[in-house]
Amino acid sequence: MIVVAVDIGGTFTDLVGFDDEAGRFIEAKSLTTPHELVQGVLDCIRKSGIAAGAIDELIHGSTIAINTLIERKGAKTGLIVTRGTRDVYIIGRGNRPEAYNLFFHRHRPLAPRHLTREIDERVMSSGEVFRPLNKASVTEACRALAADGVESVAVCLLHAYANPEHERIAGAMVSEALPHVYLSLSHDILREYREFERMSTTVVNAYIGPKVGGYVRSLKSRLGAVGFSGDLSIMRSNGGVMTPEVATERPVAMMESGPVGGIIASARIGEKLGFANVISFDMGGTTAKTSLVRDGEPTLAPGYYVGGYASGHPVMLPMIDVVEVGAGGGSIAWTDDVGALKVGPQSAGADPGPICYRGGGTEPTITDANVVLGALDPHNFLGGELVLDADGARAGIEKKIAKPLGMDTITAARAILQIAISKMALAVREVSVEKGFDPRDFALVASGGAGPLHICAIARELHIPKVIVPLFPSHFSALGMLLADERHDFIRTFYCDLGSLDFKALAAVHDEMASEAKKSLRHSADAEWKIELDLRYVGQEFTLSVPVSREAIKKGERQKIRAAFDALYEHRYAHQSPDEPVEMVNVRLAAIGKRPQLRFPRLARRGVTKPSRRRDVYLAAARQPIACPVYQRAELGSGARIKGPALIEEHGTTTVLFAQDRCTVAPSGEIIIDVGGA
Amino acid sequence: MRRALQGDGKKKPLDAVTLEVIRNALPAIANEMAADLQRTSYNMMIYEVRDFCTSLVNTKGELISQNVGGVSHFVADLGVIITDAMKRYGKDGFKEGDVIITNHQAVAGQHLNNIVIYMPYFYKRELLLFAMVRAHWIDVGGMSTGFGAGPSVGDPWLEGLQLDQLKIYEAGKLNETLYRVLKDNIRFPESSLGDMKSQMAACRLAVRRMDELFNKYGRDTILDAIAQIFDETERKCRNVVEKLKDGVYEASAFLDDDGVKRDEHLPIAAKVTVDRGSMTIDLSGCSPERKAAVNSRTYAGARVAYKALTGPLEPVNEGSFRALKVIIPEGNIMMARYPAPMSGWSMIVPTVVDTIVKALGPAMMDRVPAGHHGLLGGAVVFFGVHPKTGRRFVVQSIEGGGWGGRPTEDGESGTVSVCQGDVRNASIEGIELKCPVVVESRALRTDSGGAGKHRGGLGLDTCVRNLIDGRWNFDHPSREHCPPWGLWGGKPGTHGEFLLRLPGENDFRSMDAPHYPVPVDSEVIVRTGGGGGWGDPLQRDAALVRADVIEELVSRDAAERHYGVVLRDDLTLDETATERRRNALRSGRA
Repeated sequence: MIVVAVDIGGTFTDLVGFDDEAGRFIEAKSLTTPHELVQGVLDCIRKSGIAAGAIDELIHGSTIAINTLIERKGAKTGLIVTRGTRDVYIIGRGNRPEAYNLFFHRHRPLAPRHLTREIDERVMSSGEVFRPLNKASVTEACRALAADGVESVAVCLLHAYANPEHERIAGAMVSEALPHVYLSLSHDILREYREFERMSTTVVNAYIGPKVGGYVRSLKSRLGAVGFSGDLSIMRSNGGVMTPEVATERPVAMMESGPVGGIIASARIGEKLGFANVISFDMGGTTAKTSLVRDGEPTLAPGYYVGGYASGHPVMLPMIDVVEVGAGGGSIAWTDDVGALKVGPQSAGADPGPICYRGGGTEPTITDANVVLGALDPHNFLGGELVLDADGARAGIEKKIAKPLGMDTITAARAILQIAISKMALAVREVSVEKGFDPRDFALVASGGAGPLHICAIARELHIPKVIVPLFPSHFSALGMLLADERHDFIRTFYCDLGSLDFKALAAVHDEMASEAKKSLRHSADAEWKIELDLRYVGQEFTLSVPVSREAIKKGERQKIRAAFDALYEHRYAHQSPDEPVEMVNVRLAAIGKRPQLRFPRLARRGVTKPSRRRDVYLAAARQPIACPVYQRAELGSGARIKGPALIEEHGTTTVLFAQDRCTVAPSGEIIIDVGGA
Repeated sequence: MRRALQGDGKKKPLDAVTLEVIRNALPAIANEMAADLQRTSYNMMIYEVRDFCTSLVNTKGELISQNVGGVSHFVADLGVIITDAMKRYGKDGFKEGDVIITNHQAVAGQHLNNIVIYMPYFYKRELLLFAMVRAHWIDVGGMSTGFGAGPSVGDPWLEGLQLDQLKIYEAGKLNETLYRVLKDNIRFPESSLGDMKSQMAACRLAVRRMDELFNKYGRDTILDAIAQIFDETERKCRNVVEKLKDGVYEASAFLDDDGVKRDEHLPIAAKVTVDRGSMTIDLSGCSPERKAAVNSRTYAGARVAYKALTGPLEPVNEGSFRALKVIIPEGNIMMARYPAPMSGWSMIVPTVVDTIVKALGPAMMDRVPAGHHGLLGGAVVFFGVHPKTGRRFVVQSIEGGGWGGRPTEDGESGTVSVCQGDVRNASIEGIELKCPVVVESRALRTDSGGAGKHRGGLGLDTCVRNLIDGRWNFDHPSREHCPPWGLWGGKPGTHGEFLLRLPGENDFRSMDAPHYPVPVDSEVIVRTGGGGGWGDPLQRDAALVRADVIEELVSRDAAERHYGVVLRDDLTLDETATERRRNALRSGRA
């Protein structure tokens, strides 16, 4: 069996394939072609040498959804709402997260006010109809939207999460009146209360729907044209994959699929190596992203804001919880008006790039600092494809940082790295310490071109004793896609006191969600089902999701569920109130269809554990450079052991080991580091 | 405490890197306290209105760090509580495990709902700082329910329970008597005491984080870094002010009245002196203290304005205000003497901020917007007893208004005031899940934004129908006679109000009364003002005016009257008529 993953990123399109019978990985990389993404996928497959007809399954992650939104190139979108709520989408929550900023911006609506139409109807929170649906008002809304030439329509009526009947009828009428428009109904996308957030999620779906749908169809047909007849799966933000049909209906679900692959890979590889608890750390060109995996399960956030919390678009669909900081290889070091040294969030990006890339960059970056300190070899970058300008990097750091701060160039380069490392360590703390987890109970998995360079320093900062550098760290997201299962998340608002919760009714809601899930599942045979109840103390707003079993609901295990909530609360906030009443707000169901497991090959026992050469490197606080042994990762065999200080080079990255660090190469090829002094 | 997080605690030299690490760590602690408080609180004033602040304050009362994003008028306002506490208890008067509770107005200077909880932090038995949380409790007895008592409450005893720097925990032991007094004298003890628990948890979190930091870097390094961070922050603010032309800048405004004495404006005046990087904001010209409960002891008006103009996106610390001198004489409405009533303490602050900003308009033409709605939101407050559950309920939401046009763009619509940051309205569905009302609409008010080259943002109409008997609070300040001002030729925005229509009535009428009983099926519109316009409306691009008409933000009639833009019936632009109309308007002015 041949399985292939293609991940379109901002700069590169990465491919990782695995040939099950030959026990062989295939990798390829090509430049992303922003205007012809489908062509980019085909090019990458061609470059890999795999015949399209031989591929059994293709998993695809793409930036198409998020770019369509950020570049505002989506459809002309109309919105149909309950009478009186025409402006809910524009007003949002009325807040200004940047409290002192007189120049703040609210989100910029994707459906304008003049394409927002009100209809006469009203449902209550109980689901009861307060005012019946006036069909004439729907007909009128359709007529107006048709006259305006909309390409897509979102329908979001108040309390449709509780009773979607009016939304269904209105939707059917829209389909009939405007047969060629793309249609999104809020209860299909998100059955949770809070109208603005549900409306925003639905509008985003409608806005990107026609373009993403077209993309998925075109991908499918052009892959077919070159002979592909296997299964196509699309990566989604929750860490699972979905069929092209589901992706076409709910493109909003693939919005943040970019960083997700690497986190899935971290989880799977950690588990395989006996580390069920890992923190994934991916450092690329502009940012570093980190995420926590516990018992092999990535952490999900219930929603997120595309474009940031202050001015972004809320999308309340589960997404793997990622903390991102502006620290990547291209992040610029600078001094502010009072002489404090700062790193990022501005990035030199790929163009002009760091000074050492010779692309016209003039601002010193993290990559330049690594070149100056010797961690990156100017003559062996990306396998020697690009000879780095070490003198330029040195001169830039000297001029922009060292001189103004009165330091020597080496100290300045080191300071740049240390500040970046402390920022990244704060991000790792945010996903762990701040959620009640001790990072020392986790192994760090490093990926991205710049991840392995800094990972041991970050681990030491946080006293994390174990670091894993996986295979293909610079294609890690694509690798993760090979390993992802199919996943569909469902939510229903179900508001009541836990004390009087009707478990029969809850079981009925669960079964309804489950049967809906089955319709979307391709791998339904041995699917895994996860149920969570969103609970809180009466009077609170924020909930915690408490995992429960189908059994527990069937048996009505009120006390056990209650105790589990108190314990979870204690873990997260360090206090609890076991005497206070608890209420339930939502029930969540995740349906996970298991994809066939790949058996990755073992590395040959025999290898060369000798340095290919030595290079002068300034490590840690040493005043003088040390002649650091340099190993080639491709030459290392299973069981190879290396003591730091050392550099381990491979195509897209370099792993840096400090004096007290020790590493072993696992039989499956990963570098496992014991961090000294942690 | 586990092994690895402990260090030797010895002093390490202060270098650029350590300084930067500590600079990032301190606000992160305050923000983490804030995030946990918000997620565990029991009252919408905390989880939606974010009416709280979390801070670290040293023993001199200097602000080490504060959360960013919540209610901005709490900026750097906890120092006075510590200077007072140090006087009363002395530096040896605190023990590990103490928790102090206070809201007393002689020092705290705000309404009694704002309960401050704080804990001392010791490093190696030395008292170094305090972790503090001020948060709005939903009730503290008296007339305080909900957003707090209004301006008509005559004194602090009527307002609620007064707590004067009391130790609710002493060395870790609960003062049971005090706890019972609290529990028996507030209406929603589960909610408020739940919030107290969250406040204490946030303080304990800060203590843990400070321990990690001090153990890693040592006492002297951290204290040196804090001093240097203060200095650098001050320098940054001076750098901004140094670029302004030295001089004295003045502006004034007023509220229609103080809510009690109805025939008299409530004057607000700001005199700002810029002198080589230093700024003095003199608010002596504002009203003397009032009989109405609109008094306070606060520098918030001056500080919020200064912060917004000098470094809006930077974290706050003591250095943020060192280059600012604020003059408010004792006996002023914002430096009122106990027991002047303070239950409506913050009501004037947004207008004070806006007046200071307006004064500086000529000095900072590129950074000063026109006036915003200037009030702490349209307050939705309807309460009663739920017939199904027998539980007391309060419908609460803060509806935003229009912001002034800005030097480069229009003002935002339906947004909370300059004193409120990440303050969110209550969702319609959330309100209706809990309370027996129907929110009939939440809508932009066409033509409420002041005309200008850059238009003012729009105010809102939020209409609520009650399904059971209950009481509305219509007690509110008004800016009808001093509407949100335009700047550089821009027109003022329109003001807000409360409107009521009883069942069977045809028309809405304007309302102004506290705790007003209404029968089932009444409708109330909470109306908020629009922002002022920036610049001459005749200079606004006609295409933008047309777009506003298509969006129904501006009516066709107003487009013609204020902007001189004439549209045909199909809403295409009639360029000839527009030119003619604009010329006529221009010559009419001359």
